[in-house]
Order: sequence, then C-alpha cells, then structure tokens
Amino acid sequence: MAMPEPAAPEGAPFTAYREEVRQEWLDYNGHLNDASYAIVLTRAHELLLEHLGLSAAYRESHHASMFTVEMHLTYVAEVNPGQVLTAATRVVEADHKRLRLRSELYADRVLAATGECLYLHVDTLAGRTAPLPADRQSAVDALLTAHAGLRT
Amino acid sequence: MSESPGRVTTPNEGRRAAVWDDTAEIAAPLRLHETTAPQEWMDYNDHMSESCFLLAFGDSADVFFRYIGIDEAYRAAGHSLYTSQTHLHHRQEVALGELLVMTLQVLDYDRRRLHIYHEMRHGVTDALVAMAEQLLVHVDMEAGRSSDMPDDIYAHVSAIHQAHSVLPQPAVVGHPIAIRHGK
Repeated sequence: MAMPEPAAPEGAPFTAYREEVRQEWLDYNGHLNDASYAIVLTRAHELLLEHLGLSAAYRESHHASMFTVEMHLTYVAEVNPGQVLTAATRVVEADHKRLRLRSELYADRVLAATGECLYLHVDTLAGRTAPLPADRQSAVDALLTAHAGLRT
Repeated sequence: MSESPGRVTTPNEGRRAAVWDDTAEIAAPLRLHETTAPQEWMDYNDHMSESCFLLAFGDSADVFFRYIGIDEAYRAAGHSLYTSQTHLHHRQEVALGELLVMTLQVLDYDRRRLHIYHEMRHGVTDALVAMAEQLLVHVDMEAGRSSDMPDDIYAHVSAIHQAHSVLPQPAVVGHPIAIRHGK
C-alpha cells in the first residue's frame, strides 16, 4: 500500500469529518444523546485512522486492528437536529503500539464537545497487542510531528 | 406514550420515579440494570460498538435517576441532570446476546454535582468488561445554568453516598488518558 497523502497543511489539525446530525442520534429532548457524541467522535477518528491506513480494510488485510481502550468526552453544548458536525483532530501521543487522539467536535462551528481516545494496536489472531508495521508507524510519526505545535 | 421513530430511547422511558423508602437498605454498589447485547449494538465485526457501551451505562444511569427522584415529570418541571464528562474504559469485547450486568457507585457529590462510577460485568463469567466514570451536573434548563438539587433528591444522593462509603475507590478513577511509558 502506498504511503498516505499528508492530512492537511503542516501543523493543521485533521478536519475530514463533516456530516449533518442524524435523527437516530437524538433522544427524547430532541438533542444529541450523550452516547451519540461518542458515535460522532468515533466516526471522526475513524477517518483519521483510515488516513493512517489503520481502518477496516487494514483489519481485513493485516488481521490487526486499533482497539479503543479509553474514551474521555467533555460535553460543552447541546446539539440540535439540522446542525452540521465537524471535527478538528490531532495526534497527541503515540508509540510503537499505542495512539492517543484528541478532537474538538463542533456543531455549526460552535464547540460542542472535546474527546480523547487511547487506542491499542492489536493482533486479532493472537489476541494481544503488537507493534505497528513500519509503514503505519511512519504515517503515525509524521502526523505526531505535524501536530506537535498544536498541543494546548 | 408517543415516540418519534428511530431515535435513542431508554428501557425505562415513561416509568415514574421510584418511591424512596428511607428504611430500605441501600445496595453498595447499586445494581439497577442488566441487558443482553442486541443486534443493533454490533459493529461490522459482530462486536459491540464503542458508543453502545455508553448507551448501556446511560440506561443504568437512567434507572439511578428514577431511584433518586428524577423522571420525565421532574424534567418537565424544568430541571435535569446533565452529563458533563464521561471517561470510558474498555477491557473486553462483547458479542451478540451476551448478558451484561451494570453496577453504579456514588463517589462524591455536592449540591449541584454528582461524581459516579459504573462497572459492566459479563453476566455469566463475571469478568469486568468496561467501566465509566461520569460527572453530572444538576441544571435549571430554562436558565441554562447549574442549580442546587432540591432537598429530597439531595438527601437521597447523600444517603447513597453514605452507603457507598464502604466501597474502595476504583483504581481508574481520577486519571487522565495517557500513554504510560514503560508498560
């Protein structure tokens, strides 16, 4: 597999995620349900994992996968139907088998939540953690370096 | 009860708050909810999706809210508990149809805030599957700001916290997410 293209200009967060709030994510209040913020965060992060070559196709081809071990959401604002969700994601920490992503989630460009996930690279046949392949490690390291100046 | 189709629901929607009994023993931790993992919670690998762990913990919290006195009627009168933060920990994958048993512990509280801890265990093996730490805030929904809990609900929270003071502090509580080097 070819090396992924750079996500964005050097130093900018990853912002590929964009979609409208879905009806099935709302609760009885007509607002985005607590758990649905986790869906949004996961979908935004999945795009970054895909960019790194670590998404569903990788799971099939390499019998390995990024397994979420922790997720931390801080809720900032309610989200309503019809709003457009976007995310600014950065790689904040990584080593040979672990990856930590942090996102700001926006609804119509207003900050709605922040979220962090810690992923473990798991060999799904052996059922245990394993080092990232060299090409994926390079992709991770490149983004980690590009995002280094963004850390708050 | 009328429901708009295809939105997030909880198993206890429409169920009124439990009548609090001052003389009843309070379980430590509370064991208020269990469920079997349904098809719609499975991802393309037939494992439970991450966000569905939060749905399950949310359903347990919903029973807890009704236990302390917060139901639809309470919310309709203008107040509610909002989630301020959630920190999820995943320990095991969950497959279709597995029985999941949730517990809930009140770690700390004040007039406006509740710090709670959930565990999810496998119903057959009792293995720890996932944990969640949450900070909840009591809000005046019209004013859009935090507000004191009324005396009765505050007293219920206080009684539960007292009953839970015998429980150990869970090891994962209070830690930020980080790669712990050397492990």
